[in-house]
Amino acid sequence: MKRGTVCFIALLLILTSAANVFAQGQQAVETRPTGPVTIEFWTTETQSDRMATIQVLIDTFSALNPGITVNLVPVDENDLVTQAQTAYAAKSLPAIFEAPAETAVSFGTQGIVDVATTTRLIEKIGKDRFYAGPLKVLETTGKGDYYAIPYHGWIQGIWYRADWFEKAGLNPPTTWEDILKAAKYFYRPELNQYGILVGTLPEAYTEQCFTPIAMSNGAALFDANKKLVFNSPEMREAVEFYAELAKYNPPGPQTWRARDYYLQGKMAMFFYSTYIMDDLALQEAAMGSLTGDNFKDLIGTDFDPDLVGKTRVASIVTNTSSAGYGTVVSLGLFDQGDPAKTAAAQKFLEYLYTPNAYVTFLHMAPGGMNPMLKEIATNARFQNDPMGLFKRYGTEKMAEIIDGLENIETFSIVGGNRIEAASEITAKQIIPQMLYKITQENVSVTNAMAWAETEMKKLVK
Amino acid sequence: MRELKIRKPALPHDQQPIVLAGMNARALREQRFGWALVFPSVFIILALILYPVVYNIYLSFFEFKLTGDNIFVGLRNYLGVITDSEFHLAVRATLVYVVFSTVGTTLLGLGVALVMNKKFPLRSFVRSLILLPYVAPVISVVFSWQFIFDPVNGIFMDVFHNKLGLFAERFSLIGSPDTAIWVAILFGIWKNFPFTYLMILSRLQAIDETLYEAAEVDGASGWQKFKSITLPEVYFVVSALILLRVIWNFNKFEEVYLLTSNVKVLSVYTYLKAFTGTMDLGQGSTLAVLQFVILIGFILFYVKKVLKW
Repeated sequence: MKRGTVCFIALLLILTSAANVFAQGQQAVETRPTGPVTIEFWTTETQSDRMATIQVLIDTFSALNPGITVNLVPVDENDLVTQAQTAYAAKSLPAIFEAPAETAVSFGTQGIVDVATTTRLIEKIGKDRFYAGPLKVLETTGKGDYYAIPYHGWIQGIWYRADWFEKAGLNPPTTWEDILKAAKYFYRPELNQYGILVGTLPEAYTEQCFTPIAMSNGAALFDANKKLVFNSPEMREAVEFYAELAKYNPPGPQTWRARDYYLQGKMAMFFYSTYIMDDLALQEAAMGSLTGDNFKDLIGTDFDPDLVGKTRVASIVTNTSSAGYGTVVSLGLFDQGDPAKTAAAQKFLEYLYTPNAYVTFLHMAPGGMNPMLKEIATNARFQNDPMGLFKRYGTEKMAEIIDGLENIETFSIVGGNRIEAASEITAKQIIPQMLYKITQENVSVTNAMAWAETEMKKLVK
Repeated sequence: MRELKIRKPALPHDQQPIVLAGMNARALREQRFGWALVFPSVFIILALILYPVVYNIYLSFFEFKLTGDNIFVGLRNYLGVITDSEFHLAVRATLVYVVFSTVGTTLLGLGVALVMNKKFPLRSFVRSLILLPYVAPVISVVFSWQFIFDPVNGIFMDVFHNKLGLFAERFSLIGSPDTAIWVAILFGIWKNFPFTYLMILSRLQAIDETLYEAAEVDGASGWQKFKSITLPEVYFVVSALILLRVIWNFNKFEEVYLLTSNVKVLSVYTYLKAFTGTMDLGQGSTLAVLQFVILIGFILFYVKKVLKW
């Protein structure tokens, strides 16, 4: 992000936050810590431009709350659990973390999250102001308490070259049959062109691709009685189908970074979140993706300004049933054992939910970061994003995406009940490891699934 | 001796018989001063090296719990690791990696040192140029290598598949578990041979020229001069370099993990076991202990048999 833009945001925030100063000042009297407090904030927004924006928010907050210093620490999403484990052992957990809901629940079940303060904070912000679906994902089994607070979320789908599909007379990739047919059709390695991108590295992205495929076949990790039912015929079919799709991937183990092959016109379809919208639509963002922090493996290529018009998204996968997939990203509080730090963290989180700070945060990735407070979705400033995505895609399409968050499906919600062990399994990346074994190490489906089941049982016991 | 017997019961245990042998107060003060001087280093060594090692050994007998309530499991971690087929694969991968990368580094280092010992124009420039891979930051060269071997956009596939047609299809040399280890070995050799070269070259320059002159007078061939003069002269340097390289490569983590992430040598396997998936710090510690034991065994054998110390 340009320095000018950052300065402008800072100025805007300071000016527009003036109205909140009085209210915040009053709250500060209630909870103001006795001396200066320093807290850490772990963010998964590791790209430099996003960190710059968050830093602007922190600076604004610090100007309003001189006694509180917030240190921003970037932590890769895939390293969160490891980092938390070592930080816990070293007694240096940060006050605040940003994490996917499944990871937050996993932290919660390990007893390292401040559930009481989190729940109080949700009540204070106003439970009714949140979308119900995302809140449900973060609820404790006992109900009524929460492991973390939903902050933003994204929907995943299969993004595909509609112009290629039309030319080939193929159906949009919504059913298993159509996805496989198109993947086969467009897989032309001799032309350096590939059919599809599904994750095959043992990373979070792989599970994100696999989940809607499994769920669309009625496969689950647990039944309603919280019994592990992973090793089922439905799951086996889903795993076999996924392994078949992976044959039409670009060569070698792959992760989300390979979406750049799509931007270069070398791939027909790829699983991705709505984060891709700005890359597809905007030259600056796409160039940044191709050459910047995101993808050090590849050099850039000419941007295709018509790509957004040629791309469509299939957000639901259908086989025996239909399934969509998305992720709620939450903000949580690690147990600090220090009331001053907890109070400071609470204050900072409250600040992040004020409209101006919230919209500024979400505008880091329009389309990718969608609000969890209903009123923000209809907020005029939110709909007027600096990249002009709402205008480009249309407010209606964007509203559809945000509404999709209400019905997020994951392995950890069965029959309306949250199953913590499923979040543990996701956080420990057992399914991605299994898929890596099958697709890259040629381990048989039977053996890999047996291995995964054994690992899952270790967590469930 | 009589004095010793008389004084012994009166002395605290930690004040050893040196005092008894008639040490005066000044010597005692000096001894204390000496201890005060070395104390900071001893303390740092104990705190930063010995404590983690001992704690690691301690952990290897426990099932580690994040909440701190570790459960004593005796030798169960050791049995679990030794009977684990992935451990056997990791040992095999480590042996392959260590043997080939050490041999490659040493031979290339020796060869380049011999060439660089000859006089030719711009020799000093070339000598410093060779050091580049060794001094370049690992992460930056790793990214360059990953780009070179990228299956879709990399130059390697462009040349060998597209232009020369040596490979029938594109594949990921770094990504595929079968080929990744060889790329890691090649990378290790390329990155580390300059150190070997530098050490051997400095030894070569210290060899007395008259030895070669005498050999030439006796009519020795190039090979004979190398075998009978150069090799014996550099023997101990090369042996010490091999020992160091084995130790370094046996524990090598960052080069292998950053470059390939799927070559499970022991250090990478230990990391994966301890910190990813179903994180098992107990078994991770066990692996670290076993790695340490294997390495110490090799060092003792090598020092006795090869270095003949």
